[in-house]
Amino acid sequence: MALLFRFLQAFAVLLLVSTVATEHTSNWAVLVSTSRFWFNYRHLANVLSLYRTVKRLGIPDSQIILMLPDDMACNPRNAFPGTVYSNADRAVDLYGDNIEVDYRGYEVTVENFIRLLTDRLDEDVPRSKRLGSDAGSNVLVYMTGHGGDQFLKFQDAEEIGAWDLADAFGQMWEKKRYHELLFMIDTCQANTMYTHFYSPNIVATGSSEIDQSSYSHHADNDVGVAVIDRWTYYVLEFLETQVTSVTSKLNLGDLFDSYDESKIHSQPGVRWDLFPGGEQEGRLRTVVDFFGNVQNVEVENANATEPGSLKEDLAEIARLVEKWQKRDEEYSAILGNSAGNVTEDLPSSSLHLKLKSTVGTTKMAEDGSWGKRLVGIYVVGACAAIWVAGSILGRSSV
Amino acid sequence: MPAAIRNLRNNPHFLFARLPNLLSFICVVVGVVWLLLLPLNEYSRQTYISENALLPGQVHAYFTGSEQNIFRGYKRELEGLLNDGQARGGQKDEAEVTAAVSDKLQSILQAAGLKVATQKYEYTSAGITHQGENTYAIIHAPRGDATEAIVLVAPWITADDKLNLNGVTLALTLARYFKRWSLWSKDIIFLITPDSKSGTQAWIDAYHDMHPASVQPLPLKSGALQGALVIEYPLDHRFQSLHIVYDGVNGQLPNLDLFNTAVAIAGGQMGIGANLQEMWGHDDSYEHRLQTMFRGMTKQGLGYATGAHSSFMPYHIDAITLQTKGEGWEDEMALGRTIESLCRSLNNLLEHLHQSFFFYLLMQSNRFVSIGTYLPSAMLIAGNFTIMAIALWMRTGYYPESKPSAKPMNEKGSAEEKAKTDGIAERHLALPLSLVVGLHLLGLVPLWVFNNIFHQYFTTTTYIFVVVDIILPLFLAAILSNGLGLSNPIIPQQYHLIKSFSLLLLGLSLSTLATLNFSLSFMIGLLCAPLSFVARLQGSAPFRLATSSLGLVLLNLVSPPTVLLGVCWYMGISVETVLTQAAFGWDIWGMWTQVVVWCVWWPAWLIGCVLLWSSMF
Repeated sequence: MALLFRFLQAFAVLLLVSTVATEHTSNWAVLVSTSRFWFNYRHLANVLSLYRTVKRLGIPDSQIILMLPDDMACNPRNAFPGTVYSNADRAVDLYGDNIEVDYRGYEVTVENFIRLLTDRLDEDVPRSKRLGSDAGSNVLVYMTGHGGDQFLKFQDAEEIGAWDLADAFGQMWEKKRYHELLFMIDTCQANTMYTHFYSPNIVATGSSEIDQSSYSHHADNDVGVAVIDRWTYYVLEFLETQVTSVTSKLNLGDLFDSYDESKIHSQPGVRWDLFPGGEQEGRLRTVVDFFGNVQNVEVENANATEPGSLKEDLAEIARLVEKWQKRDEEYSAILGNSAGNVTEDLPSSSLHLKLKSTVGTTKMAEDGSWGKRLVGIYVVGACAAIWVAGSILGRSSV
Repeated sequence: MPAAIRNLRNNPHFLFARLPNLLSFICVVVGVVWLLLLPLNEYSRQTYISENALLPGQVHAYFTGSEQNIFRGYKRELEGLLNDGQARGGQKDEAEVTAAVSDKLQSILQAAGLKVATQKYEYTSAGITHQGENTYAIIHAPRGDATEAIVLVAPWITADDKLNLNGVTLALTLARYFKRWSLWSKDIIFLITPDSKSGTQAWIDAYHDMHPASVQPLPLKSGALQGALVIEYPLDHRFQSLHIVYDGVNGQLPNLDLFNTAVAIAGGQMGIGANLQEMWGHDDSYEHRLQTMFRGMTKQGLGYATGAHSSFMPYHIDAITLQTKGEGWEDEMALGRTIESLCRSLNNLLEHLHQSFFFYLLMQSNRFVSIGTYLPSAMLIAGNFTIMAIALWMRTGYYPESKPSAKPMNEKGSAEEKAKTDGIAERHLALPLSLVVGLHLLGLVPLWVFNNIFHQYFTTTTYIFVVVDIILPLFLAAILSNGLGLSNPIIPQQYHLIKSFSLLLLGLSLSTLATLNFSLSFMIGLLCAPLSFVARLQGSAPFRLATSSLGLVLLNLVSPPTVLLGVCWYMGISVETVLTQAAFGWDIWGMWTQVVVWCVWWPAWLIGCVLLWSSMF
């Protein structure tokens, strides 16, 4: 038992050390599918699978921005109404009963996406549609859809370019909207999308090189469409089988090493150079730094001593505690001295409770009933007189 | 180079007489060779599915097992009623339209939970009345909006005039089976027509409120039609392969994606071979590819409906017919699964089929050429007429060496003299223009005659027109040459102008037609090619007589009525059948082939004959 306790203690210390090293205080995830239409079922399934994973690892719905341009669950072509599956075994219904889609249908536009990232939204936009990250937030951005060389198509009408995305991240950095950012993209020629990034603390990874297609993994013969893309499938396989809890020690290096080109059928890419310390440092970031959730409280001005600062408050609290402890001791000493006359020493406030008078029911008084009746008759008589006078006067005037 | 151009300018005979002939001839030869090159791998392309939404063959088809018992049950019921009809007298064809059969169809469809309606129609063409009653039923998409629909057609009589009992039964079984699926995004309409020729036409016309008074309107409708499949299973044994028929009226074709999807599902998913254009033993050799292409072009050029699906094409509804062929081991369930999978693919569509080609020539179930590759062929042939027409026009304005046969007019003597010294001649346009326009208008006469007389007179009328084709040019040539009743005799320039205008119209019409119906333009262009090289001959009388009579004989061999007779004789079909079919096409399908024959080909041919006859005078 003691051994176990010691082990846990050591583990807790380790955990504390690791969280201190990454120094982030919250986790946000932006999960975007950019294509609509039934035959793009897999893109929505990709995003929903990832949504499920980050939720499992602890990021709450309030910190996940989910963008779904189409509703596959309610598509009339769906043989299993109300569900979305990312595997032909249909073991897990991704749509389930606990899902919060923040941007849906035609709300998923390039403009909305960039406004979301850079927080250039109207005041009346609800919190659920805002990315509330700050300088202490680790942000996971996952995108999937149809893309090409340095662009990603949004729905059928527009596209986001690699420069647009780089500028949006640049602005996020300037506005202190992330601490570290993991960018993941699964589309054709995906790696071209992160070539122009210039703001620091970004790790980017994509599914395929320039001039390479990104392929779907398998189709469900009853749903009748491909249900998931290859790269996302194998990323998920790693996350689901290896990163089983928030305490997982697996790092990004392990995740990226798990890429198997013979399975993915395209060459995934990773970009480290924007990360301080480059690949060496970047590899040490744990997967749950981005996919899981921490709620460290960052304490501002921890070392100040002026009035109102934390140190002074703490000192004051310590003094108060000391004072109360002293009083307590004195009190117990008094109790010990005079055990006989307890009632006499009771504080006065408790005596008041006993003296409090109660209000009972009262009997209606019957005095002056004849007087009241006379007043009544008089009033009725006066009214009748006024009525008679009024009717006579009215008739004469007519 | 400048020296060569100068030489050319100094040699007007070569420039105006030899060069155009040479160019025209080269155009025709290149046009034909171009077409012959198309089946080669370098010029044709592998087919591919262009529309992402179709996802052919990605769904499992569940139409098996107990559905077969339903099929047998329905078949027995229908068979009994058909036998009753036959026993009471009348042929097999008569049996189908009995009220009992129609009632049975309706009750089966109603019992399956579909909304059922009927439509009576009657057409009259060439003195023959075609009438019947369509029965159709609609499955409303349970979770879809009723804005789009797919049509499944099962005609009682196939395009080859066989009883399609299995096809109709399969449609009924599929109706019952489809009704139980909840994944339709489009309504599905099951249409049972009495025949393959008029039934679908009446129905589709009425669906779009374009029907004549003799056709009843539809009491029940759905949304915009996205595609149609015709089921033909006239065999009473298992089949070997599917024959996909895709030609529409006037050479219109369905979107290539529909054909490709059918091939992909039949071949890829179900393992049933797919044939086209009755090419059963296609070994993918050059000869077979060329043959397939020519068969397709013949059907496209003639422009007749090749099946019940053809009537859908004018309304921009892509449709194909699936015919079962051969003796093999595929049963009605395999056909049913193919249709199920095809319907699932069409169900996946988000917009009307538009991604792939509408203008193509198929030479194998997985090989085609698109319009960009084949169009130059017909354009070159049409261009040969235009080149000749322009050359003749320039020649009529340039007469340095020849003495005009007409004496210089006294009034304008000085002006004409001046013009002649400059090598510029005034063109006399009135007579050539009115002759060419008049003859083209005259084409309306045979057009009307061949579409309106009773069918028993067709053969006689054709022979009459062979004679008319000999007499009419002779008569016209005599008038022109001898100036019968005309004040001014015709001058050689006017012969050139007549030919120029005629060829100009021909070239214009054919190049326009090439973009709409390539094959028809190509065929007419080839038959008219001699007209470029026919002119009024000059020289000694015996030479003129001999050459022009030879020319006339040859030209009469390629006259419209002679070609018709020749083809009918070669194919072993009666002229009456062909012309009845043509009149039917004109009256009911809206076929335009006759207009091209009588108002483009025939006038141009007449003028060629007039020019040859005139060299005899």
